[in-house]
Amino acid sequence: MRYISHLLATTMVLSVTAIAPAQAYLDPGTGSIILQLILGGVAGVMVVMKLYWHRLLSFFGRGDSSSDADE
Amino acid sequence: MSPIKAEAGSFRDPSGRIYIKDDQVFRTIMPVAADDYEAVRATGLIEELGDRGWLIGATEVAIDALESVATDASYVVEHPKIPFISYPYEWPFPALKAAALHHLDVHLAAMEKGVTLSDASAYNIQFIGTQPIFIDLLSLRPYQDGEIWGGHRQFCEQFLNPLLLRAKLGLVHNHWYRGTQEGIPAADLRRMLPLRKKLSRNVLLHVVAQSALQNSSATQAKNSEQTIKTGRLPKASMVRMLEGLRRWISTMEPADTGKTIWQDYANAHSYSDEEVRTKQNLIAEFVRTTSPQTVWDLGCNSGDYSQVAIDAGAKRSIGFDVDQGALEAAFARGQADGLDILPLFFDAANPTPNQGWNQAERQGMSERANADGIMALAFIHHLAIARNIPLDDLVGWLMGLAPTGVIEFVPKEDPMVKQLLRLREDIFPDYTLDAFRHHITKRGRIVQDTQVSAAGRRLIQFERKPT
Repeated sequence: MRYISHLLATTMVLSVTAIAPAQAYLDPGTGSIILQLILGGVAGVMVVMKLYWHRLLSFFGRGDSSSDADE
Repeated sequence: MSPIKAEAGSFRDPSGRIYIKDDQVFRTIMPVAADDYEAVRATGLIEELGDRGWLIGATEVAIDALESVATDASYVVEHPKIPFISYPYEWPFPALKAAALHHLDVHLAAMEKGVTLSDASAYNIQFIGTQPIFIDLLSLRPYQDGEIWGGHRQFCEQFLNPLLLRAKLGLVHNHWYRGTQEGIPAADLRRMLPLRKKLSRNVLLHVVAQSALQNSSATQAKNSEQTIKTGRLPKASMVRMLEGLRRWISTMEPADTGKTIWQDYANAHSYSDEEVRTKQNLIAEFVRTTSPQTVWDLGCNSGDYSQVAIDAGAKRSIGFDVDQGALEAAFARGQADGLDILPLFFDAANPTPNQGWNQAERQGMSERANADGIMALAFIHHLAIARNIPLDDLVGWLMGLAPTGVIEFVPKEDPMVKQLLRLREDIFPDYTLDAFRHHITKRGRIVQDTQVSAAGRRLIQFERKPT
């Protein structure tokens, strides 16, 4: 578990290279972004899994259910 | 000469603004957008799409073309004027579909040159006849490798979901769209779709998943912000997404395919062939003698008389009707024959109002009135009888739209009016030919007055008193 969590965190850091569009006067919406990350392939799916990871852990009785903290 | 006026609907993007000076349309490009504009210009895309008629023309002019109004702008460009501005809530289904496909086509062509679109507003598409054209130069900006498609949600709300409403549920988008102005949210559509209509890859992705993820508590959490903001979408995936949407939308058709009342009107109306010819000749004669550039065809049906008017020399026709089937037939006619006719959804008893921010962002129908001549054929009884609008008011409104026009008077003896009165009391003692003529002559003069049907229908051509 710890290892997978670590791997995810690393993937996430690696994928943190993109930039918010320069002239983004428009709110793209979280739903749309996450959908696009999933459509974008493995790296994106990892990022999304990371978002839901703590939910999953708390569902199985691990981790702190009151927090979604990444770190 | 009128003063230079900022277009009230162009405030959302700080990159620039539209200004109107008499009959000229200018766009400022502010310093914040100058680099992007220069980069896009250098790709040759603006010219290329302009030559294809996909993107509105843009000629750089001196900053002082706008006098002292925009001295802080980096550039000022002049655009050709769109003959008639229309809104997605006035478009029939095939127009919204054509606009959606055009938006995707422009985006795909842009991506080939390393350019993307910063938004997906349906208001950035306008029509010349039935031909869509992209009008927002400043939506084009350099594509940064791996960026997500920031306009995806807007595309879904303003194009995809309203199309799905009709394609999946047989409901027209116009009323709802006019209410929200921003289109239809995925969450609302998701609630309406029955399970079996959700079971397709595209609906699951763009409607169900998008709305579910939007509301998920994990993505609402504060600390997920950074994760979301830093997401990447590879270029190939983004192009696939655009192409996928294009393929999907191009197959969409209204679910309610049964004939509407008026779609078949041209074949089933109460006129004989000879009467139709008389009517056509009178319209052609009206156009030849008054030479209108823009004709408004109220109750345009499938566009028969718009076609007559254009054949007789009118430059274009804007058609108005409430019947979706008729509008779709008129739109198809325009597309097939390359005819400069734009059929729009319009209920004269409830016309498009001024709306949006400060009630000035999107103009009402009267504010956009630009007809040189009107045609109101087989029209007034639907308002005077079916909607109880006083005949005098109705004539006043029609004659206010243009200096000249042709109105068909449909008497009570006509089968169509009899049909309208079949189940209700006749509370219209003032609905008479004499009264109708009187209402016209107090505002102008009758130029032509000819009986066109055995039941006593008449085409009456008016000329308004100069104001």
